[in-house]
Amino acid sequence: MSDNFDHEMSVELAEVAAHRYREGRLTRRGLLTAMAALGVLPAVGFGGRANAAASELVIVNWGGKAADIIKEVLGETYKAETGVDVVIDGSGPSAGRIRAMVESGAVVWDVCDSGPGSAIILGEAGMTQPIDYSIVDRAKLMPGTDWEFGCGNYVYSYVLATNPKLLGDAQPQNWADVFNVKDFPGMRTFRKAVRGQLECATMAQGVALEDVYDVLSTEDGIDAAIDQFRKIRDNVIVWGSGSESQNLFLQEEVSMGNIWSTRAHLLKDEMDEGSFAVSFDGGVMSPGTWVVPKDNPAGSEEAMKFIAFAQAPELQAKWFELIGSAPINPAAASLVPESMAKWNPTSPENVATQILYNDEWYAKNQIAAEEKYVNALIN
Amino acid sequence: MSAPKTAPETVPGGPASAFRIAMGTGGWLVAAFLALPILVVIPVSLTDTSYIGLPKDGLSLQHYESYFTSARWLGGTAASILVGLAVALISTVLGAAFSIGCWFLGNRAATIARWVLIVPILVPPVVQSLGFYRFWVTLGLIDTWTGVILAHTLLALPYVSISVFAALANLDPKLPQAARSLGASVWRTVWEVVVPAARPGMITGAVFAFIVSFDEIVSVLFITVRRVETLPKLIWEGIQDNIDPTIAVVATVLVLVTLVLAGAVAVRRT
Amino acid sequence: MQTDKTRYWLLAAPALAVMIVFYIWPLVNIWAISMTEPALGFGNYVKMTESQAVQTSFVITFRVAALTTVICVLLGYICAYSITNVIRSARPLLIAMVLLPFWVSVLIRSFAWIVLLGRSGLVNDAMRDIGLIDAPMRLMHNEFGVVLAMVHVMLPFAVLPMMANMRGIDRAYTEAARGLGASEFTAFRMVYLPQTLPGVASGALLVFVLSLGFYITPALLGGGRVLMVSEYITYQIQEFLNWGLGTAISVALLVATALVLIVAARFVNLRSALLERS
Repeated sequence: MSDNFDHEMSVELAEVAAHRYREGRLTRRGLLTAMAALGVLPAVGFGGRANAAASELVIVNWGGKAADIIKEVLGETYKAETGVDVVIDGSGPSAGRIRAMVESGAVVWDVCDSGPGSAIILGEAGMTQPIDYSIVDRAKLMPGTDWEFGCGNYVYSYVLATNPKLLGDAQPQNWADVFNVKDFPGMRTFRKAVRGQLECATMAQGVALEDVYDVLSTEDGIDAAIDQFRKIRDNVIVWGSGSESQNLFLQEEVSMGNIWSTRAHLLKDEMDEGSFAVSFDGGVMSPGTWVVPKDNPAGSEEAMKFIAFAQAPELQAKWFELIGSAPINPAAASLVPESMAKWNPTSPENVATQILYNDEWYAKNQIAAEEKYVNALIN
Repeated sequence: MSAPKTAPETVPGGPASAFRIAMGTGGWLVAAFLALPILVVIPVSLTDTSYIGLPKDGLSLQHYESYFTSARWLGGTAASILVGLAVALISTVLGAAFSIGCWFLGNRAATIARWVLIVPILVPPVVQSLGFYRFWVTLGLIDTWTGVILAHTLLALPYVSISVFAALANLDPKLPQAARSLGASVWRTVWEVVVPAARPGMITGAVFAFIVSFDEIVSVLFITVRRVETLPKLIWEGIQDNIDPTIAVVATVLVLVTLVLAGAVAVRRT
Repeated sequence: MQTDKTRYWLLAAPALAVMIVFYIWPLVNIWAISMTEPALGFGNYVKMTESQAVQTSFVITFRVAALTTVICVLLGYICAYSITNVIRSARPLLIAMVLLPFWVSVLIRSFAWIVLLGRSGLVNDAMRDIGLIDAPMRLMHNEFGVVLAMVHVMLPFAVLPMMANMRGIDRAYTEAARGLGASEFTAFRMVYLPQTLPGVASGALLVFVLSLGFYITPALLGGGRVLMVSEYITYQIQEFLNWGLGTAISVALLVATALVLIVAARFVNLRSALLERS
């Protein structure tokens, strides 16, 4: 199963933060707050610490391009609150590496930014600890993201983005329009992999939100979604990384597409007035996930405390404002400034028009679907 | 395409026939196709816009400033130069010793060994990088400079061994034999007779090795994570992440350095 | 002399050992992974042969490589011919122009093509400015862009062996044919061309083999739709962590490359094309 989902999103958020920081929209302090909440703090160590002291916590994430900026920032927020040093290892907590570390018996990671798919697989394999919901507050999580071996840390959505200026008179209003090349000409972009993509192709056939995964649970449903892509493949450019999708819009290579809300967050400011729009209607909300490796050095309790700390609504709202990763804590939505609420994937209005990423469906169908998807696009 | 008959003695450089004109023009066109697209990076690097494009209202050095003040770009550049030098040194020593040994041996086993050493030229870069990745994980070399230098050395060795061996083709085998019969040890013969003959090949090989390393990207994408950043990796990420004119600056600097070095070599030769 | 021989082997041994331990062995491991992950056996190979996407990817790869090779040989031949036989005074300049891309990294060259071929790239802008087109044309993110940029990368590999070969050809034969009344073109076709075929063959082989495994340019200019095998492998590994299938396809690509070399060995002197090329 894929677990790149996880680190991709971490790189993604770190990049977005760095981007903001460079643009001057984000102060050092702001970046710090956001990063502390996210768990993306600078890599001060070199990954392979043999024995972390009890007074420090190693949070693992994919440092990514933001490393040079966040390197300057230390885990002050959490330290100020608890006195515990936060060390960030940006080397990427892929499921494979977590497994290798736990099996080798030399665990140096405390809390890892993963994804629901990996969290389930790792938990079943006995590589991670169950989340202690007496410390971590279930009420501060979006319903459905409180797994046994992992809990949500932030949310991003797959959304419909368009460039109204390029599109002129033919403005797609929904996914059905995006898959209608005849009436809505122009290039589209979709993700290189099926995550968040088959859902929109299914909605394009008129399937109601709540039925999307039911329809996709049959072979016919998957094939029908894939066929949608096959039909329009000559008008498709795929994106691999979030920044690639951003570039495709910036360079006007595409006029519409299915991209991450975090990138849309950046594009709305970067593109000229009237040349970028986003619709959360028919979006797919995806949660990032904290997991705690078995026998983590700082101990289970410390790790859980950190996760609980990151649930604070103020931090979550702040963090959305700065880098566009949406609060997983429903209470944070009201703290988001009104002007930005419409860009928030987890605002009550937007939640109502989206569906939640169904990790069970992916665990069961993803590999077969990927294969068909790639083939439809290239063949 | 048929050419009018001309007297044979006028053929070399003689009157321009349709065939010769076509070939000559074609040659220039192909050469232009090879050289000109690269030069497009120069005007783009001088653009006054914040996106990739030709200068709009005037030339600007702003993107040069952002390159020459960026610790990341400069660090990557310096790192690539240092890695390249290390690779050139190591692969030239290993490769020259190898070729000299094989040259002396001159048997079937030595030829097989030479084939083994050029395998990296033929293996698809992605495939060899997967191999590196898995092995480097077990060796703990992922995201280390040692790992990068080792991988680049392996990729540079074929070029060194080929060029040193080519240089030795001109060496008369009787010469080292004579030295040996006069009582010189094997090592002394190698050092004083064979190495001087191999030197031109070693220099070419070292230059090749440096360039192979300096440009190498695929293996770096696999075996480095974050701590190790070479120039090609920064360019790759730059192209994928945000196409901004700084990459055009880097490209321009590299193209100009290449032109200057090539010019210098050409002047020295004449 | 036995001890001398040992000493010569001692000279050759370090490089050979390094190559075998750190290069050949990891390659063998790739094969081992393909047979053991996730389960022992040929499962990955079965999956690979059943996969339509893999087949398509191989077809695309061979098609792009073949197209690139044909174009490179044609253009390269013209270029090599005119450098050797037609242009005299400006020869060093022409050679420099051919070699320049050789020394500039593939990444930079791909970047230059992106700048030129993009939707709002220089070519489209220029053509729109002079009124040739109304709407931007699609020059990249398709096979056209990939082949164009690949030809640019591979062309010097075709020109150099052909040039080396043409340099060694004695003009006397062609002139004799001319003296016997053959037209310049006929003399070229009947006498000169056949002598240059070895150079053409090694140039073509080099271009084809390198194109088969090419990754950078298709990945940057293909827009995900010109999915060559190398990109497909990275895709399997990076997107799905599917090492088993990724390595199985890698082995297939290696075998395909080896087969090309074996077949080529009947027509090309591999020794001079690869081992002793300068």
